[in-house]
Amino acid sequence: MESVKLRADHLTAFYGGKPAIQDISLEFPDRKVTAIIGPSGCGKSTLIRCLNRLHETAPRTRVEGKVLLDDEDIYQLDPVRVRRRIGMVFQKPNPFVTMSIYDNVSAAMRFNGRHTREELDHAVVHSLQQSALWEEVKDRVDAPATSLSGGQQQRLCIARALAADPEVLLMDEPCSALDPIATAKIEELVGRLKTDYTVVIVTHNMQQAARVADYTAFLYLGKLIEFGPTEDLFERPKEKLTESYITGRFG
Amino acid sequence: MNGDPLADTGAPRGYDLLVRHLKDRAVKMGEWALGMVHDGWKAFDQGDLQAAQTVLDRDTQLDRLDEDMEHAAIAFLVLRQPAAVDLRTAAALLKITTHLDRIGRLGFDMARITLPGPDSEIPELAEIRSLLQQMDEVVEPMVQQSLDALGEDRIELARELFRRDDVVDRMHREANRLIIEGLEKNPTLARRLAADLLVAHHFERIADNSCKVGEKTIYALTGQRRSEYLPRHPFRPYALETSLPPPRGGSGSRSSPRGSGAKAP
Repeated sequence: MESVKLRADHLTAFYGGKPAIQDISLEFPDRKVTAIIGPSGCGKSTLIRCLNRLHETAPRTRVEGKVLLDDEDIYQLDPVRVRRRIGMVFQKPNPFVTMSIYDNVSAAMRFNGRHTREELDHAVVHSLQQSALWEEVKDRVDAPATSLSGGQQQRLCIARALAADPEVLLMDEPCSALDPIATAKIEELVGRLKTDYTVVIVTHNMQQAARVADYTAFLYLGKLIEFGPTEDLFERPKEKLTESYITGRFG
Repeated sequence: MNGDPLADTGAPRGYDLLVRHLKDRAVKMGEWALGMVHDGWKAFDQGDLQAAQTVLDRDTQLDRLDEDMEHAAIAFLVLRQPAAVDLRTAAALLKITTHLDRIGRLGFDMARITLPGPDSEIPELAEIRSLLQQMDEVVEPMVQQSLDALGEDRIELARELFRRDDVVDRMHREANRLIIEGLEKNPTLARRLAADLLVAHHFERIADNSCKVGEKTIYALTGQRRSEYLPRHPFRPYALETSLPPPRGGSGSRSSPRGSGAKAP
């Protein structure tokens, strides 16, 4: 039996008075990739934003239920500490545009007060290696982050997230703004990251979910319809709604 | 539910039409293979070498249908990237065409081993020929039934095949028994009896391949694999489970016919 790193327990999230996700209970196995799929507006991004308390940063939002990280309710912890342990990568690469590659990666460490040059150097190199960017930028780490291509910028953002030494990495459609080559690099990277991290990835692309995820959750109209090993969900889904969605049987 | 984008409107999708087209092609290939079995057996039974040749000439078309089907199924997988029932159907069709090709090839082989002159005129072979005819009367409809199950998405037809396969297995064993007895009694007929033995075996294989088509159809429609609905029964050596006559000169115990000491005719 695989151990569970992160667990949503009867999670409901509201925008104003309207629930965007309802009563979701879901377990994210440790050091595995879990994909969240579903049509636009089904609550995928809301769910992932609840997993590191980003949802509550938007106005007039509210969360009911629990999110347990190693059996600790993150809603009872300091949100800044939570986000250090549960990193996030967004849809569009969002490097700090005024900073160099080096400063982007070391930003979180410097913010957290760990700033001996040696420690920073080590963390920057290690994070860039983990995000499969080191070989491409090792000779120009002081160049502006904006000098990188879109795919490289996204891997820089992954390196920046990893530099904070998280336990869980949340990825909200990390490839949607990338070309197929950059997408392939990110997907390969995701496969490697799960050796050290628990990864949760939101994707619109079902083939991407099939390629990278060990487990897949299907959300529809804010509800969890089905969750299981990716292979089972795509080959023999148990729920009619899942079948309709993944086979494209729309009305 | 009103406004539900996943609600089934019953309208055919391009996808559905493609899947239907793939199945229709597989059924067409199966009908071609079944025709080869029908005519292969007829040629063999009547000792009609000219008819046998026409069956052999149809092999090229069987190969073409097999290749076309494989190409279409792979193209569907690559270009459409299907999931769930569509994925299972494409995967099942790749296997099904292999089984249909084998069925056709077994009809081809019957034609290939045809000997001149009808065996039914040889009194010693009458009983064996009658049994082979009965096998044909069970096996050909099985192939048709497997194609109907595939073409019409009928799970119950596919399931029924497994029961009929047991009947064919019993007939096959009985044919083996009769042929071995015939070989011992009439060694001069060995060439014809050996051909009969092969044909009985071919009918048994055709029935098995029909069951495989049924099995893959059930998988495509439900996702269930055979082990989930049909427990595998243990097999034993034929010598321990059939009513084969004891080998000549043997101890009377049921040992394998191979190495039984029976003299070659």
